[in-house]
Amino acid sequence: MIEYKNIHKEYQGVSVINNINFKINNGEFVVLIGPSGCGKTTTLKMLNRLIKIDSGEIYIDNKNIMEVDIENLRRNIGYVIQQIGLFPNMTIEENICVVPKLLKWDKDKCNNRVHELLSMVSMPYEQYAKKYPKELSGGQQQRIGVLRAIAAKPPIILMDEPFGALDPITRDILQDEVKDLQKKLNLTVIFVTHDMDEAIKLADTIIFMDKGDILQIASPEEMLRAPANEIISEFMGKRGNFLDAENMACSDLMRTPVFTIKDDKKTLECIEIMKKRQIDSLIVVDKAGIFQGVVTIESIRSKGKAGEKINSLISKDFPTVLQDDVGKTAFDLLMDKKYDYVIVLTRDNSVVGIITKSSLAKALASVVWGEM
Amino acid sequence: MSWTLIFQHLYLVIMATIGTIVIGLPLGVLAYLNKSFNRLILWSVDILQTLPALALLGVIMVFIGGNSLTVIIGLILYSLLPIVRNTYVGLTNIDPAIKEAATAMGMGKFYKLIHVELPLAFPVVFTGIRIAVVTSIGVAVFGTFVGGGGLGSVIYRGIHIQNMNLIMSGTLSLMAMAIIFDFSMAWIEKKLYQK
Ligand SMILES: Nc1ncnc2c1ncn2[C@@H]1O[C@H](COP(=O)(O)OP(=O)(O)O)[C@@H](O)[C@H]1O
Ligand SMILES: [Mg+2]
Repeated sequence: MIEYKNIHKEYQGVSVINNINFKINNGEFVVLIGPSGCGKTTTLKMLNRLIKIDSGEIYIDNKNIMEVDIENLRRNIGYVIQQIGLFPNMTIEENICVVPKLLKWDKDKCNNRVHELLSMVSMPYEQYAKKYPKELSGGQQQRIGVLRAIAAKPPIILMDEPFGALDPITRDILQDEVKDLQKKLNLTVIFVTHDMDEAIKLADTIIFMDKGDILQIASPEEMLRAPANEIISEFMGKRGNFLDAENMACSDLMRTPVFTIKDDKKTLECIEIMKKRQIDSLIVVDKAGIFQGVVTIESIRSKGKAGEKINSLISKDFPTVLQDDVGKTAFDLLMDKKYDYVIVLTRDNSVVGIITKSSLAKALASVVWGEM
Repeated sequence: MSWTLIFQHLYLVIMATIGTIVIGLPLGVLAYLNKSFNRLILWSVDILQTLPALALLGVIMVFIGGNSLTVIIGLILYSLLPIVRNTYVGLTNIDPAIKEAATAMGMGKFYKLIHVELPLAFPVVFTGIRIAVVTSIGVAVFGTFVGGGGLGSVIYRGIHIQNMNLIMSGTLSLMAMAIIFDFSMAWIEKKLYQK
């Protein structure tokens, strides 16, 4: 487990990391995201002590990293950077074996490891091992960069915008490869990016930073559904489709604002409203806005008397969902055809919206074709 | 004029170059590693080269007498600048991402220097060596004044007895030597940069 405790950093008296705290479990894929200059790289590089911590402590498996021999610490933390940084004077094989060699693995063990790693990314040993970095494409080089980082089987890998300089197709492939490796080897990864799509694709947990503070720590689904503030939702808004069908909640499908009436209204008044709005039912709430039920035009016509209050006509027999329920619940209810809409409630039963077939279609369309 | 004199001249230049590398390379590395030494070192080698070569040789002769060692020491001091400067520049100009990667992999300072930085700086260092060699070939001419021998003696004697042939043969030998070294080393240098 990795634990950042009250980590603070400043340059020339200007604070760039403001007492941040977070924990990362073993095998977790954590993505640090946020606007440029928010302190992601600084946060990352403090873990392998490329940047000095001003105050606070970082623990790896309950051991303060300042008490670990610095070179040993680094040999046990893989590191991948955007500029790739392969050693141009070494062959691919030698590059991959840098850390194993520092750890004094013998020749056979190193050689086996290179074979194993190259085959993992489908780069045949015979074809690539003796080449120099500049003979490879950018994507291939970064693949080797990743292999170099995991060669000595470190439990932790740090990646600082590793795919930022690659073309979108290569980036996509490498993202998949890294995610596969991470799962297969149960690696703990801390990955810096400013690309929300990348974060959502890779992360178990996203840590959103801004101006040296952590604004939110959440799973991608949770962050999409409930961004902690404006900055985060604006950041995510830049993405093409920010909903995906599986993760939609009822609140993503509903129409707001919703028209409601108080439960002390009279029958005739209700009929007037319905006529005017061309609807045949009304949602009824009490003075505190708590959901009471629905009055329909039929029930007023059949049972209601002129001048009477509607209390006795309110029907509870109407489909409702909670705003956090998965979208599918509302979909199923609507497809029953009996009702034209579903009422969306908060946990304390106040009405926040309704889902109609058209609001549902609109939300689904935004997933397919992007924000509309 | 004889081959002996040419070899003598070459001997001075080669010994001086070896000496310059042995002294200059560590000085360049030190200037790179230690920010507080770097001004002092770069400034010193700069000053050394601004001294007139003949005066420098004279001063050394005062201490150790006149012989080929005097010339070699003089040449070393005189050609330190290109090697120290190029070692320093070569190391400083390595892509910072590569240096950071080396550090992050857990290499120590010295290990990093030997396995990454010096190999990468080598082409630039080699340029420094080439400049040092070519400079030494010219400056070694003054060796004859302090009893060091070499092609300088031919030219000096030629001037003394006003023999144009002697002057010309000495000068042309020097020029040929300088050109051969310059071209062949430049060719190696090109290969190094291409790597
Ligand atoms: N060596 C430095 N000296 C002064 N300021 C720095 C230095 N390194 C980073 N900073 C500042 O610290 C802040 C955080 O930087 P960084 O962690 O690199 O941001 P990010 O990786 O999120 O883009 C930025 O405002 C940057 O300008
Ligand atoms: Mg950064």
